[in-house]
Amino acid sequence: MIQASAKGLDHARQVCRNREAAARQSKAEGRKLMGYLCSYPPLEMITAVDFVPFRLLGDVAEPVTRADAYLASIICPFLRSALDLGLKERYDFLDGFLGTHVCDCGEKFCHLWNYYLPSQYHHFIDIPHLVHEASFDFLKGGLELFQSTLEDYAGWPMSRERLKDEIRAHNQQRALVRELYELRQVDPPLLSGAENLEIMVALMSIPIEDGCELLREVIAEVKERQDGPQKKAARLLLWGSPLTDAGLIELIEGLDGNVVMDDICIGSRHFWPDVELTEDPLDGIARRYLAELKCPRTFRETTESYAKDQEVRFGYLGDYARDWSVNGVIMQSVRYCDTHGYEVPALKDYLDGIGLPNLYLEHEYTMIALAPLRTRVQAFLEMMECS
Amino acid sequence: MIAGQQKRAVNRLESRKLMRPLVDKMYIEGVQAALEGKPVAWCMFNWWKGDPILRAMEVTPVYPENYGTVCAAVGAAQEYLGISDAEGFPTHLCGYGRNCLGYAAKMVDEGQVPSQAPIGGMAKPTLMMGSSGLCDARYKWFQALRRYWDVPVWVLEFPHPGPNEIFLEGTIDNSVRYMAAELKEFVNFLERLLGKKMDWDRLRELLNNQEQVLQVWWETNELRKAIPGPMHARDFWTIMAPCLYGATEKESLEGYKRVFQEVRARVDAGIGAVAQERYRLMFAELPPWHSLGFFDKLAERGWNFVIESMGYHPPPPLELGGSNDPLERIARWTLWFFVSSSLHARKRDYPLVAGAQPYLTWAREYKLDGLLLHPLLTCRTGTFWLGRTTNVLRDQMDVPSLIVEGDIVDLTVFDESRALSQATAFEETMEHYREVRKKRGV
Ligand code: SF4
Ligand code: SF4
Repeated sequence: MIQASAKGLDHARQVCRNREAAARQSKAEGRKLMGYLCSYPPLEMITAVDFVPFRLLGDVAEPVTRADAYLASIICPFLRSALDLGLKERYDFLDGFLGTHVCDCGEKFCHLWNYYLPSQYHHFIDIPHLVHEASFDFLKGGLELFQSTLEDYAGWPMSRERLKDEIRAHNQQRALVRELYELRQVDPPLLSGAENLEIMVALMSIPIEDGCELLREVIAEVKERQDGPQKKAARLLLWGSPLTDAGLIELIEGLDGNVVMDDICIGSRHFWPDVELTEDPLDGIARRYLAELKCPRTFRETTESYAKDQEVRFGYLGDYARDWSVNGVIMQSVRYCDTHGYEVPALKDYLDGIGLPNLYLEHEYTMIALAPLRTRVQAFLEMMECS
Repeated sequence: MIAGQQKRAVNRLESRKLMRPLVDKMYIEGVQAALEGKPVAWCMFNWWKGDPILRAMEVTPVYPENYGTVCAAVGAAQEYLGISDAEGFPTHLCGYGRNCLGYAAKMVDEGQVPSQAPIGGMAKPTLMMGSSGLCDARYKWFQALRRYWDVPVWVLEFPHPGPNEIFLEGTIDNSVRYMAAELKEFVNFLERLLGKKMDWDRLRELLNNQEQVLQVWWETNELRKAIPGPMHARDFWTIMAPCLYGATEKESLEGYKRVFQEVRARVDAGIGAVAQERYRLMFAELPPWHSLGFFDKLAERGWNFVIESMGYHPPPPLELGGSNDPLERIARWTLWFFVSSSLHARKRDYPLVAGAQPYLTWAREYKLDGLLLHPLLTCRTGTFWLGRTTNVLRDQMDVPSLIVEGDIVDLTVFDESRALSQATAFEETMEHYREVRKKRGV
């Protein structure tokens, strides 16, 4: 249950842990909800026709039972879990679903979802893999098509002005998220990585305006708090595939490490870049989602050398490391994720090159699967202290 | 029959023997080109999109994915997989990808084609051509190879329109425009890299040949709808490689014409690929290359695999309109490969079933009794839709599936004797559903 009186961090925690109740509350207030997968659906366009975007996530505490009949065990466990929740009617409040091509299994998942869990409205946007001029034109064409189907469904046109207003509103939320992240630049950080993750999940479960309100409360509270995280030897950057439960971060923070920054899509990766307010708003939207989002599913052109390629692909992580005084990196991914899996040795090369100790962890997206990781994290933190 | 020679359960096509040398030639060409200092590209299979362009620019394509099957077959893969693991690549990645990454690491380490590399090995590339079509490995693996080869990686872009969205006005045109624009970029890139101009007439010639290969090979597979099925999946897998990797070549066209003639003659004479065709089956998706003898044992029981491996089949004749511009022509063909199944189904009023569409169509048109599905430990793309295919074919067509797990390079996963022990029970299931279909008047 989410208590009406809950504020700030407490409110974020309650929403995160009861996100379906939060969605049902929006529904009870007469809002329509649009489910979406991953960070690529253009949320500005969803809210421009008054839908509340609700991100589909899995649940590590729920054993996958129903989805087994549809998805083999070698498919991304995060997706299997999300489908399982859908089949168990935990997402039956959704009025629509917007899919995008994120990765191969993610794309197929969207089609599977529509088939077995049909809703009043659904659409699929094909996101290119490349960042060429023609890719932007292609994506813009796809966004125009999406806009027309959305307008047909909503029954009214999406005006440029309204879309620009939505871009401003989302950018405002993004600015607040960046401000929140700055609270972890100090040592010790004012907010733990686990708390931060819960706030991110909460933001992906409630209307944008409520999310902004929540962020303001949290920022005010955290700035004043006396009970923040303890100073630890390791200031860590966490990289990788979606984490929807704070378990792994709690495990790390229970040892001698603070997670002070992340590059995961239930975190900075989702919120970081703004949409530029262009004359035709779809131009800014296409550019932000295709070029600015930093997910390994998008291919960046190779350059004259491997070293330069690494800078192009991972340079932003070096910036994070500098600005958040990071002294170690934990790369993590769910098992069976190809987009993240192929990235690991190259990212390791980059981190080694800038002198950041690093560790790669793979997990099965269940609570139980975390236990064996503890020893490896502990050994890594001890190694960091010695080096 | 020659005295003492046992009659095989699968009545193989004679013309298949013409195709094997074409495959061997492909490997030899790669090594030869490198020895002569000519450009070589490591490529992913790309549904007839990038190869004609490379060939018109006199670049020799080499296919590490295909090389993975060779390494697995001769037992060389284990070493390369181990090296890939040691390099830090997760073990769940595509077996072909891991094989190739391990091979590249070893080649860099030894400074030459690794000693004992099967069939002469793969020469060092001048460039690499990945693709974003259908599976993430196709471009992420090639991006990862950049660690070993300081040569550029080009990714051929494949749009992935949704199964409903392809029917929305604008989707097909937008996709074709994008693909053609990207192909132009690819040509520009090659011209810069190689310091020479594209020979557009040569490209047109190669495309003419390629389109004829696709046509005749498609027609051959259409003949397989006949009862009894004239050509077994084993022959398909033997014969498919020149179409996938060498459709621009004249010898390929000649070979496929001969195959067509032989299959046509069989249909006319009512000759089947197995002696007594009791069951007509489909196999999906990638076969257990190392255990193909398994199919002979099933053939002895009258199981005829009349269709298979959707991803390796040529598309039907193009219905997306032609173009005089060779790049747009390529774009239209390649996109057609991906969308033709849904458009075909809609035209014939078959139910639209995302993911399982081609299989549903085949079950009808090839009059299938059952499916043998082969989920793979390290290939998500080939495995994703199999569960759904099972459900759709059972629910909509009363056609049952048998699932036998395997992998593309780890030979130990495929348990042939266990699979064979399920055959009798599955025959009963096929009989049961035959009755169900009869009652329904299908
Ligand atoms: S975790 Fe990986 S496989 Fe799963 S949806 Fe994300 S990118 Fe795709
Ligand atoms: S389709 Fe499967 S086997 Fe082929 S490259 Fe992709 S993951 Fe590997």
